[in-house]
Amino acid sequence: MTPARERLDLHLVRFNAMGCPCALQLEGEADAIARAAAAAQSEVARLDAKYSHYRDDSLVARIGAVADAGASIDVDDETADLLDFAATLHAQSDGRFDITAGALTKLWDLQSGRVPGGDAIDRARARVGWDRVGWRRPTLTPNVPGLRLDLGGVVKEYAADRAALACRKAGIAHGVVDLGGDLAAIGAHADGTPWRAGIRAPRAADGAIAQIELARGGLATSGDYERVMIVDGRRYSHIVDPRSGYPVESFASVSVAADSCLVAGAAATLGMLLGLDAGYEWLCALGLPFLCIDAQGGARGTLAR
Amino acid sequence: MPARMQISASLAALMSAAAALVPEAQAQTTESDARVSYRFNDYSEDALAPGPFFGDAERYRVLSQQFELSTPVAGDRALDVTATHEIMSGSSPWYVVRGAGNRPIQVMSGATIREHRNEVRAAFTQGAGTTSSTTWNASYSIERDYRALALGVERSMPLSEALTLGVGGSFSHDRITPVDAQLFDRIEHASKNTASLFGSLAFVLDRNSVLQTGLQLNAEHGYLSDPYKLVDVGDAIVDDTRPDRRGAAAWLVRYRRAFGADSAALHLDYRYAQDSWGVVSHTLEAAWYQALPRQWRIVPSLRYYSQQQARFYAPFFLDPGAHNTFSSDYRLGTFGALSATIDARKRLGRWEFSAGVERYHAATGYAIGGSDAPVPGVVSYTRAFIGLDYLLQ
Repeated sequence: MTPARERLDLHLVRFNAMGCPCALQLEGEADAIARAAAAAQSEVARLDAKYSHYRDDSLVARIGAVADAGASIDVDDETADLLDFAATLHAQSDGRFDITAGALTKLWDLQSGRVPGGDAIDRARARVGWDRVGWRRPTLTPNVPGLRLDLGGVVKEYAADRAALACRKAGIAHGVVDLGGDLAAIGAHADGTPWRAGIRAPRAADGAIAQIELARGGLATSGDYERVMIVDGRRYSHIVDPRSGYPVESFASVSVAADSCLVAGAAATLGMLLGLDAGYEWLCALGLPFLCIDAQGGARGTLAR
Repeated sequence: MPARMQISASLAALMSAAAALVPEAQAQTTESDARVSYRFNDYSEDALAPGPFFGDAERYRVLSQQFELSTPVAGDRALDVTATHEIMSGSSPWYVVRGAGNRPIQVMSGATIREHRNEVRAAFTQGAGTTSSTTWNASYSIERDYRALALGVERSMPLSEALTLGVGGSFSHDRITPVDAQLFDRIEHASKNTASLFGSLAFVLDRNSVLQTGLQLNAEHGYLSDPYKLVDVGDAIVDDTRPDRRGAAAWLVRYRRAFGADSAALHLDYRYAQDSWGVVSHTLEAAWYQALPRQWRIVPSLRYYSQQQARFYAPFFLDPGAHNTFSSDYRLGTFGALSATIDARKRLGRWEFSAGVERYHAATGYAIGGSDAPVPGVVSYTRAFIGLDYLLQ
C-alpha cells in the first residue's frame, strides 16, 4: 500500500445491495462522510428498487406486465437513457448483448444445479429479442408476451457511478464506491495518490492476480467465478448468449477500466460475450485498459504484468 | 463476429451512449485537463460624437495579450496562472466647460498617451471539479503610475443534493502616483483599500437547469477621485473631488438551462447594484451556447445596462453651493448601453481556436427613465478578440 501521508480520516462503510456486498471508502470530514454514505446508499437502493428483476413492484416487473398485455409504456428520462445505452450495446455486439434476455437468465437459474432441457431453452428464446421490441423514446412497446428485461451488466455499474456522484455532491472529493467488485472512483486520495484496486484470481480464495490504480472513472469485472455451475464436468457461466440460448464458454473473468463504471462494465460484458479469441481481439482494439483471465488462471491484457 | 464490428468506433459509440447517463464522467475528464491559452484583445473606443469639443477626438485603444496556464497539480488540486500585458493609447475626457447657452463642451486630454500595464494572477483550487471546493487567488498589477495588489478566497459547499452555498471575500490595496503631478498640480501620491464579501445559493431545479442568487457587499476607502480629471465649478476649473468612502451592494440572479443532451444552453443573468454615491444600475444579459457538428461552437449574447447618476455628478456646476464633492466623469452620469457579442470556437484535436467581436453602444437616452444631466463624454466601443488553446493531456 502507499504510505499514508497527509491523508484525511479514511472511513469504510459496508452494506448489502443488489444482491452483493458493497463498500464505500471515503476520506473527508465526519459530517460530509455521514451525508455522503447516506446519499450513496439511498441512490443504490433507489436504482435496485426501480430496476430489479427479482421484485414484483419494480419498473422492470411493470414492463413485463405491459409485455404480457400487449401494451405500450412511456418511461421516464433515466430509463429512456438506459434503454438507449442498451440499444447501442445490442448494435455493437451483433445482438449478443440483449436486455430482453430475462426469460433465458431466469431459466438458467444457477442456484438450481441443473441444465434446462432443449425445449425449455427454445421456449425461452422465443420470448427474447431487442430487435422485436418497439422503442421510440419515450415509448416502449415490448410486442412479445412473456418478454422480461434483465438489466444485469448495466444497472449495477450505473448505480456505482451514481453513488460516486452522490458522494461528490455531498462534499466528498476523495473515495471509491465498490458494488460487488464494480468500482467507481469519487476522486483520488486526498494527497493525490490513486486508489489501488486488486483483481482477484478466479477459483482462488486469496490473493490478487493484478493491481490497478484508480484515480477517476471506474473498473468493472464480468466473470463467472462467483456464480458458476459445473454439470458433468462442463462449466456454465452466468453470461448467456441470447442467440444460442446457452451460457458462453469464455474467460473466467474480464476486467476493464474506463472513464465511468458504466462504460467499463459494458466493455467487460461484451468482451466476455464475444468469447476467448474474438473477445480478446475486440478488447485490444477497443483501447481501454483491460485484463482477461482464462479458466486455467492465465492472465492477458494491458493490465497483466 | 468482430470483423463485422466497427472496432475503432466501438468505444466512441459506448461513450457517447453513456454520456446521457453519466455526463459527469466526461466533465471530470475535461475539467481536470491541463491547457495553455493565448488571447489577444483589441478594444477601441469610438471617436467623440460630432459636436463641440476641444482637444483630440481619438479616444482610448487598448491592445491586450494574455497567456494562461491551468493544470491539475495533485489529485483534485488545480493551479491557474495568468499573465496579461496591455498597451493603452489615445486621449480621454479631461473636463467639461460651460459653453454658450449652458451647452456642455467636452475637453479632451491634450497629449495622446501610450502606457503599458502588466498583471499576473494566480489561483489555487482544492476540490476542483467538485461542488466542495476552495479557491485562493492573488493578483498584482503594475503601470507607470498605478500599482494594485489583490488577495481573495472563495469557498463552495453543498448543503443538500440540490443546494450549494458559495461564500467569499477579497481585499485589495491600490496606490497611485500620478505622472506630471507638479506640472498639473495633481496629488503626488494616494492610495485606496477595497474589501468585498459575497454569498450565493445555487438551486438545482431539475436535471437541466440551475438557478443561482447572490449578494455582494463592497467597501472602498481612500482616494477615490480621478487625478487626471478636472471639473468646472462656477467657471473655476478644480480637481475632480469625490467622497473618500463608498459602500456598494449588488444582488444577482443567474439562470442556466441545458437543451437536448448538452448541445445547447441558455444563460440568463440579472444584476442590480446600488452605492452610497447614489449610483443605481441594472444589467441584463442573455447568452446562447450552441454546439454544432465538427466540434464548432458559437455563443451569441446580448447585454443591456442602465445607470442613474451619482449625487455629485454634473457636466459642470454653476455654483458650488454647500457641496464639496464634484465630478463630471462620464462614468458617473446617467446613461444606458446595449451590447451584442458573437463568439465562435472550433476544436481541432488538441487545439481550440476562438474568435469574436463585441459592439457596445451607449447613450444617455438608453437609461431606464430617460436621460438626466447631459453626459458629453459617454463612450461606445468595438472589441475584437482571438484565442488559441492547447490541451496538454
